[in-house]
Amino acid sequence: MTHTVLTFVTKVKPDQAASLGKLLDQIGTNPETNAYVPFRSLNRLHFGSFVLHQSPDYGPYLVFENNFDGVLEDYLGDLYTLAANGLHQIYSCCLDYSVTSATDRQGMLSYLTAHVVRPNAYHVGNTGRCAERISQERDLRATLEQQADSLVRRGKATTAQGVLTALQQFVRSDPRFSWVMSPAGPRETSEQIFAAWSKLILVGVLAVVLLPLWLFPAIILVLVLRYKESTDSVQADSADSDKVTSLLETENHTASVQNHMASITIVKPGWLRRSTLWLVLWAVNLLARARATHGELSGIPSIHFAHWSMIDNGRRLLFLSNFDGSWENYLDDFIDKASDGLTGVWSNTINFPRTYFLIFGGATDGPRFKAVARDSQTVTNVWYSAYRELSVQGIDNSSSVREDLMNAADAATAQALLRRL
Amino acid sequence: MAELERKDIQGIVVSAYKHLPCAAYVLLRVSNPAATRQWIADRLPEIMASEAKHESRSVNLAFTYTGLQSLALKQDALDGFSFPFQEGMDAEYRSKLLGDTNENAPAGWDWGAGANPVDILLLIFGRDEKTVDAELQKQQAAFATGGLAIVKILRAGRQPNTKEHFGFADGIGQPVMEGTGNKQRQLERTHHATELPVGEFLLGHPNVYGVIAPSPAVKPEEDPQQLLAVIPPDATGLNAEAGMHDFGRNGSYLVFRQLAQRVSAFWNFLDKASCKADGTSDPAARDRLGAKFVGRWKSGAPLVLSPDRDDPKLGNENNFTYFDKDPHGVACPIGSHIRRSNPRDSLGPDAPTALKSANRHRILRRGRSYGHHLENPLVDDGAERGLHFICLNSDLERQFEFVQQTWINNPVFSGLYEEVDPLVGDIAKGNKLFTVQSEPLRQTVQNLSRFVVVKGGAYFFLPSFRALNYLAKLK
Repeated sequence: MTHTVLTFVTKVKPDQAASLGKLLDQIGTNPETNAYVPFRSLNRLHFGSFVLHQSPDYGPYLVFENNFDGVLEDYLGDLYTLAANGLHQIYSCCLDYSVTSATDRQGMLSYLTAHVVRPNAYHVGNTGRCAERISQERDLRATLEQQADSLVRRGKATTAQGVLTALQQFVRSDPRFSWVMSPAGPRETSEQIFAAWSKLILVGVLAVVLLPLWLFPAIILVLVLRYKESTDSVQADSADSDKVTSLLETENHTASVQNHMASITIVKPGWLRRSTLWLVLWAVNLLARARATHGELSGIPSIHFAHWSMIDNGRRLLFLSNFDGSWENYLDDFIDKASDGLTGVWSNTINFPRTYFLIFGGATDGPRFKAVARDSQTVTNVWYSAYRELSVQGIDNSSSVREDLMNAADAATAQALLRRL
Repeated sequence: MAELERKDIQGIVVSAYKHLPCAAYVLLRVSNPAATRQWIADRLPEIMASEAKHESRSVNLAFTYTGLQSLALKQDALDGFSFPFQEGMDAEYRSKLLGDTNENAPAGWDWGAGANPVDILLLIFGRDEKTVDAELQKQQAAFATGGLAIVKILRAGRQPNTKEHFGFADGIGQPVMEGTGNKQRQLERTHHATELPVGEFLLGHPNVYGVIAPSPAVKPEEDPQQLLAVIPPDATGLNAEAGMHDFGRNGSYLVFRQLAQRVSAFWNFLDKASCKADGTSDPAARDRLGAKFVGRWKSGAPLVLSPDRDDPKLGNENNFTYFDKDPHGVACPIGSHIRRSNPRDSLGPDAPTALKSANRHRILRRGRSYGHHLENPLVDDGAERGLHFICLNSDLERQFEFVQQTWINNPVFSGLYEEVDPLVGDIAKGNKLFTVQSEPLRQTVQNLSRFVVVKGGAYFFLPSFRALNYLAKLK
């Protein structure tokens, strides 16, 4: 099973931006079942968002984020079937949208396809787990918890193997859980793993073999970069307080354990910065495909879907993330655990804290980094999560329970499984 | 590291005043700013600095944003304070992240929100009730001429032991600030000390990131007498403009929350949840479940070190970690109060990274219990009792609010599902659930209710002596 992570990025007619904003905010009050884009019905979708971004230099942009199961073609079919009218109304506010009626399936789909932006780099927390499976396993876990409570209450929780056998019998006897009997399937096919690793190794080998070719130019470029970063201007002031207020007003929904972050930053001028950013994102993606496939991105356990896309011919960087917990925690995790990677990416955008050799310094200036992050962040108008009460770790845990549940187990493995409840 | 400027720092920063067990917290509202500035000037000789220790009493002074505003601190200085302080603890979206919803909502507070705003906090500590009474009387006499109205006087009395009202030893784990010399004392008392940079608690000094966090400052012409320290030309911190005069330096953000504790509701709940099959009480099981909620036994002995029974010898023990010793929470539940409020090395990805990360969110606790000890914790006497929670930090968002939001009230903390801190969490956020990890199978405690209710609260700023003097001389 593969995920697709992408956005549709479109320019909004300046005179329509305000009314589009209103429409989106209305959708945002009920993303699940609103009449325009009823996200809950899109059953391949994990997370989706609409962000209306205003910028004095680039004008208003609409970013429609989609993180879904399978391939674009199937998902577009769903979108059209379930939200043709709503999307037609939304995109009628955008430039170069010439479709005149929502019945023009071909026209709408080719418009959307033409505006697809595939990320330069992305991360998926629960690789290979489809939305349907996540909700099934959530229900399985909840039921097992109830069974466990009942075993404890009746004094039947005496040995790990005994408990596990009782749970297995329960699941076998309940037709709702017949799907548990068939194996979940690997998170990634061996071909995918092979491809990701062989690419990584190939790049490593090539880099070594071709060292004589690129070493000298690279040294020159690093020196130029070093000079640039010592003179680039950095954020001077705290984040704009009105901006922070409007962001805080949309964050921390009471019914959700997750948050969304959308940001558009301006890449520092010049081809060197643009190429550096492209290269760093390419490397991040290469590493993420091979190594960050089991929940953590560089030690950060809380990211469901995150993507980095260079837009406007590499002049701006779009970042979208769906993560667990608070904004403060998310940023601190980045600083504490992934400061080099994060600095390597964002140091190519304006106002970033002072860096040394691209990846050092930077984000470790916590207060300044957070101020830049808040200033570059943009309010999310509509945000949908298919499972807003679940964490990355929680999903992974429930999946592990399902994967191991029906296996015969000795005392130690039975105990290991029961610890997951 | 440079010496602490002890003369400039209020005493409560370096001392919890353990030798002064009684306290009164006077919440004031400014009605005549000019008179209040004179009142501040008159208080200056009385306010306790960090350099000395008075054996019988101590007075400290802090201000809310509205307090500083009414004293006519310039807007650009006011804008230099952190957002939470500017907005106040009762702002709607802060309530969401602090867990101040439903019963805890600011609308129902006795002070600090809407109907009962507060400008100034006068903290009085004394070695006994008599000393506090005398000091309070003396202070009260000056309020009228000082243009001040009393919003509320909160008392915190001597408790029969060092335990909070639920009956557990409190205040054992506490970081220490560099330069105070408290490290040795802490090591002797608890066998563990986490020493943190001055900038974690005082503005104007390097923090855990090695940078100086934003600090409110005034233009040189606003401080012609040079009462405040001048920001040096090589300053690189955010918002630090060389040549400006630093109002925040050596000051700290002081968080105050009045937390009422429903002692009998707590113990009756535990009693019922731990009763024998025939429905009769099981006092040992009740204490054990209480300890599971807290993470320490009543004596303070940590469950990690003594999982099966209380061990008063370990009452002050703080030298323990989770990652290797209790990774699955079988001894100290993952969601227990002490594991949430300071997860130490437990959150991964590896122990050193987790510990480093957790130590970037520490606070100096200075709280005190109030109200009378409930003799029989199972029988309610109708009286209010609780904790006047006070803590100091330099970054409200990264320290106090982080602990509250990311650890205490996070339903998915450390891989859990739908539960919050069983003692102080925002019960509306979870599923009224608490999981006690055990083998072979975990137990769950269900239908928890709110055992701690917020009665009032505000973010204060505890200025340095220079800043106090500056405030006194404002026009």
